[in-house]
Amino acid sequence: MIEVEGLVKRYGDFVAVDDLSFEVRQGEIFGLLGPNGAGKTTTIRVILDILQPDAGRVRVFGVAPSLAKDRVGYLPEERGLFRNLRVLDTLLYLAELKGRRRAWTRQRALALLQRVELEEWAKRKVRDLSRGMQQRLQLVASIVHDPALVFLDEPFQGQDPINVERMRTLISDLRREGKTIVLSSHQMNLVEALCDRIVLIDHGRAVLYGPLVEIKRRYAPNIVRVRASAIPDGIAGVVGVEGDGRPNGAFNLTLAEGYDPQMLLRALLDRGVSLEAFEVAPAPLADVFVAAVSRNAAASEGR
Amino acid sequence: MDWRRVWAVARHEYTTNIQRAGFIIMTAIVPGLGILVLLIGTLLRSQTSRLGEALIRQLEIGEKPIGVVDYSGYFGSPMPEYAGEFIPLSSEAEGERALLEGRVASVLVIPEDYLETGEVVALSTGSFTSAVLSGSTRVHAFMVDHLLAGRVEPALRRRATDPLLIRTRILSGSGQAPAEGGWGFTFTFVIPYFLSIFLVLTVFSSSGYLLHSVAEEKESRVIEIVVSSVRTTELMVGKVLGLGALGLTRVLIWLGSTAGFGSGAVVLLAAAAGAAIPVRVLALGAVYYVLGYLLYGFLIAGVGALGTTMRESQQLAGIFSFFAAIPYMMSGFLFTIHNATLPRVLSYIPLTAPTMMMMRIPLGEVPLVDIVGSMVLLLLSLPVALWVGTRLFRVGLLIYGKRPTLREVWFIVRRG
Repeated sequence: MIEVEGLVKRYGDFVAVDDLSFEVRQGEIFGLLGPNGAGKTTTIRVILDILQPDAGRVRVFGVAPSLAKDRVGYLPEERGLFRNLRVLDTLLYLAELKGRRRAWTRQRALALLQRVELEEWAKRKVRDLSRGMQQRLQLVASIVHDPALVFLDEPFQGQDPINVERMRTLISDLRREGKTIVLSSHQMNLVEALCDRIVLIDHGRAVLYGPLVEIKRRYAPNIVRVRASAIPDGIAGVVGVEGDGRPNGAFNLTLAEGYDPQMLLRALLDRGVSLEAFEVAPAPLADVFVAAVSRNAAASEGR
Repeated sequence: MDWRRVWAVARHEYTTNIQRAGFIIMTAIVPGLGILVLLIGTLLRSQTSRLGEALIRQLEIGEKPIGVVDYSGYFGSPMPEYAGEFIPLSSEAEGERALLEGRVASVLVIPEDYLETGEVVALSTGSFTSAVLSGSTRVHAFMVDHLLAGRVEPALRRRATDPLLIRTRILSGSGQAPAEGGWGFTFTFVIPYFLSIFLVLTVFSSSGYLLHSVAEEKESRVIEIVVSSVRTTELMVGKVLGLGALGLTRVLIWLGSTAGFGSGAVVLLAAAAGAAIPVRVLALGAVYYVLGYLLYGFLIAGVGALGTTMRESQQLAGIFSFFAAIPYMMSGFLFTIHNATLPRVLSYIPLTAPTMMMMRIPLGEVPLVDIVGSMVLLLLSLPVALWVGTRLFRVGLLIYGKRPTLREVWFIVRRG
């Protein structure tokens, strides 16, 4: 659905995106992650044809971004709407820019406003809405033309917990409807809950890319969680045992460098340990994020 | 360029801005003045109003005769051509009576020693009569005719009363003379001149809306959504066309309202404007309006987009107002020689041409080569303005917080 190959974007001497490649598949929620200033928004702007790349190739639905504008929705990080326009008129105009007829948009806009509990505000001016309401309206504005691909740049920013939950449900609904979503967010717990695959960008380059589950497993800090009556001493490859102190409780076993969970499982069974549970502990995404960015920074200094 | 999107932007700009209070007030000024003139006209005809009566007394001198009490011996028997306009009265007392009864507009009492002193006493019920009488060409003719009657040849007497009948022939043009007299001057010069000023003002008010529109979308950040949906060229052209149509709407309302008032019974200066303006001035004015607006529009949109706030955008775009204002700075000079070298040179420079030509054309015949030449150069400059404007516009739209330096602007334009 999106193919980015060797993308480069410079602002004068500053390289914002440096040889970035990734692809987004149909129907998935794809996380575009990275620290502030990593080049996420620039990447999104190039894919949306707001900026022109200096090098590389970008394809959206198999065509140049300029030809795919009508099928893409965008919730930018820099929020804003026409303050003096009525809510419904705003949606009609923005959908019209995407090639939708006003009559077609009207019904869908009203249905979406109802979904985000703004239907009673349809005839009111945008400036009359509270901040939270404007955020919801902004999300509706990004999908009112029924796009197949939606970019959500920091959709949870500045939202209270109720609105965060509302937004999360809406994003899940969009996926169920078959839409492809590119999500950029710093809320790692929500990214973890929603995304299928991610790319982590730092200094304009991809430092992590792939299915979220695999990445988390790859970054698992060599800890295996087991449930057993006891863990005997001297099991090969285990350098640390930490139990919760209860009979038949859980133990966190830390593996030595060069050992993997499969080797541990064999060793435990060879020693006759009766296992009730055996689980490779995944690392929280926040830890993966920090570890990857730190490693990249160290590598950059080394260069 | 996708014209469907251009149309959507143009329609949005038009419908949004036509509802603005500033636009409505400014547009209502001309029809408002027309209505005011009509109201004053009605007031003047109302016999119940004291103010109306006083004004009528001042203005009705030409309708009622003037009484003449002559002690000098020159004016006792008015000539047949003045009969009805001037009536002889036997004494000052009779003159006062006639005046109070409303039979005469005023009374001239000409003393015995008039020939030596030239003094005449005017009796009146209003305060402006003496000024009106002394300025009246008819009273002047009456005095001269009767002083010279029987003393010089009739032809000489006629010339003495009316020595100057000016017929203008402009050698640089077609030789066609404009209408003579005060009204002719008003219709051929004053009204077109002010109309041209209104047109120029419209160019800049539309450009102002354009600037406002760009700055507002930038400040509110909605621009990011808009440019993800349309190309910057489509957005800019849509805005320029929509707001240009808004300006044209204003001009049409003005012209329509003045023509409407002009067709009414009250023939007054402002009210008659639409009906009396030469077609040539209107047609050329409209062409220069469109060309000028497009040129300034493209440039103002591009440069204005570089500002990070409305105020900054206005400052940046101010340079174009300066160019457009140059002909105004020269207006005193233009009144006397509108075809001098400097105005002609400025008519060929695209940035000054629209306003300069809009001001020159009502002032008299303008060489055809100037009209064609300035239009061709303006037309050629439009693609350049669109090219430069679009490049600045594209980059300016996404600059928040920091205004680019001149060096950066040059870099942007060069790289596109």
